[in-house]
Amino acid sequence: MTRRQFMAAGAMASAAWAAGCSSHRGPWESLTERQAQTLAAICDQIVPADDYPSASQAGVVTYIDRQLARHYRRHRKAYALGLEQADSIGATRCGVRLAQASPPQQLQVVMAIEQQNAAFFDLVRKHTLEGYYGSPRHGGNRDAVSWRMLGVSQPPLLGRAQYDLSKGPRS
Amino acid sequence: MKALLRVAALCLAAAVVLGAAGVSGASLYYDSQHGAGCTSCHEMAAYVGGVHDSAHRSQNCLDCHDTSLATKLRHIAVHLGRTGPEAIRLRDVDVVSMTSACQKCHQQEYATWHAGPHSATYRQIFTDAKQNTQRRLMDDCLRCHGMHYDGSVRDLVQPLNATGPWRVVRAGFADQPTMPCLTCHWIHREGSLETKPAERISVAGSPVHDSLAFFDRRERMHFAAAELPLPQLFDGATPVKVCPDRRQAICYQCHAPRQPDTGSVAAAHHWGPQAGSGDDRTPLGVHEGLSCFSCHQGHNENARASCKTCHPKMSHCGIDVEKMDTSYSNPASRHNIHWVRCTDCHTHGVPRAGRAAIASGE
Repeated sequence: MTRRQFMAAGAMASAAWAAGCSSHRGPWESLTERQAQTLAAICDQIVPADDYPSASQAGVVTYIDRQLARHYRRHRKAYALGLEQADSIGATRCGVRLAQASPPQQLQVVMAIEQQNAAFFDLVRKHTLEGYYGSPRHGGNRDAVSWRMLGVSQPPLLGRAQYDLSKGPRS
Repeated sequence: MKALLRVAALCLAAAVVLGAAGVSGASLYYDSQHGAGCTSCHEMAAYVGGVHDSAHRSQNCLDCHDTSLATKLRHIAVHLGRTGPEAIRLRDVDVVSMTSACQKCHQQEYATWHAGPHSATYRQIFTDAKQNTQRRLMDDCLRCHGMHYDGSVRDLVQPLNATGPWRVVRAGFADQPTMPCLTCHWIHREGSLETKPAERISVAGSPVHDSLAFFDRRERMHFAAAELPLPQLFDGATPVKVCPDRRQAICYQCHAPRQPDTGSVAAAHHWGPQAGSGDDRTPLGVHEGLSCFSCHQGHNENARASCKTCHPKMSHCGIDVEKMDTSYSNPASRHNIHWVRCTDCHTHGVPRAGRAAIASGE
């Protein structure tokens, strides 16, 4: 390798690295922005907002996105195909992508997904409930909102037993 | 061979030059854009966004966070290798160094915290002979004494027995605080700008600052004080009046009551958790209904100047309240200041004048 070739290779590598680092991929680790919007629409039909936040407001999409990059990596293909199908059904029924449809239209589309791709719907429903009711440290259940909804006292109050080993086991 | 050496030397020189330029350039880049540079790593976006909604919004990331070369290289390796954790958080060594960063601006708060028991070090807590001979060292100790510690108690102190001698085995941790600033303060949190409370002491309860939060070791996250539970306590079968001051919900996380033990009178009668059980210090008797913060300062627990806030110097009995036979004046007193009652001293009944004064709220 000549000095000129080395410098050129180094410059190209640096440029590629810098471009990769400076590209704004959004907040998602696994999903694209479009996939995240579609997933949010499906999740919000499973846990809609009432007095408490909806699934997407409680961070369920963040939960699923993080798990698809880790423990649920095996489900990435199912999500990619399922979300594409959801948008396709949305376009056929409503003329727009699922995320852009009205809430009643979204409900119709999600019910159609449940009929046509039950495996994908069950997967999303399972992961939505995990994200909504699980520990906030995994990205969902933002601010422990579902625990407060259920009246679960978190973190629990746990005082110590005031025993004294030096006085025997029953002290 | 000579050409090969020349290429190797060239590579090395290029690496040094690029490294030096890269590190200093990166520091300038991240320091100059008020966090915008840091969010170009998409993993950090939510965290940088969080601090922009806090009282620390005017600070740059590098004002508080470590910028050493080793840290930057580690971040790059995690970013490129996509080996980051589900939720980004500070390592235990970073939390310890963060305390120094807090000190730079909050010098008075740091000084009062450092002077009090909440700044106890790992050595003071985990090698205390009185504690270790009476109770077992266990991971649950870390819930309140070392909630940011990344590991188990076995990695921290040895031996785990009741005979000792004990020593802190985690390098560099013996003289570090077990309860640093981030135990009760949540920096990257959403909320409004902090303002000074109108009054320091309030029985009704002051507004709860957004930054007040408890770091729960089990969930590895802060829980805002406003959302933490306040216990419903009992004195025997009688419900205890617990002050609604939400700030003290943080205190209750460690100074917590226990459910009645199986076989106890309280359990047999299905009474709720008893005031004074476990580590609870909820006031009963003459002080029932007061908040922790009615008497204690938050940062150092000091309550020495608190009596004058409510009491005239002389009690109804003509005795200086600070010199009465309570644990306030004498830690060995049988009359704990948290639970002292009129009848502790007036064993034959409270005199009529005293009852009238109490009834009229004097």
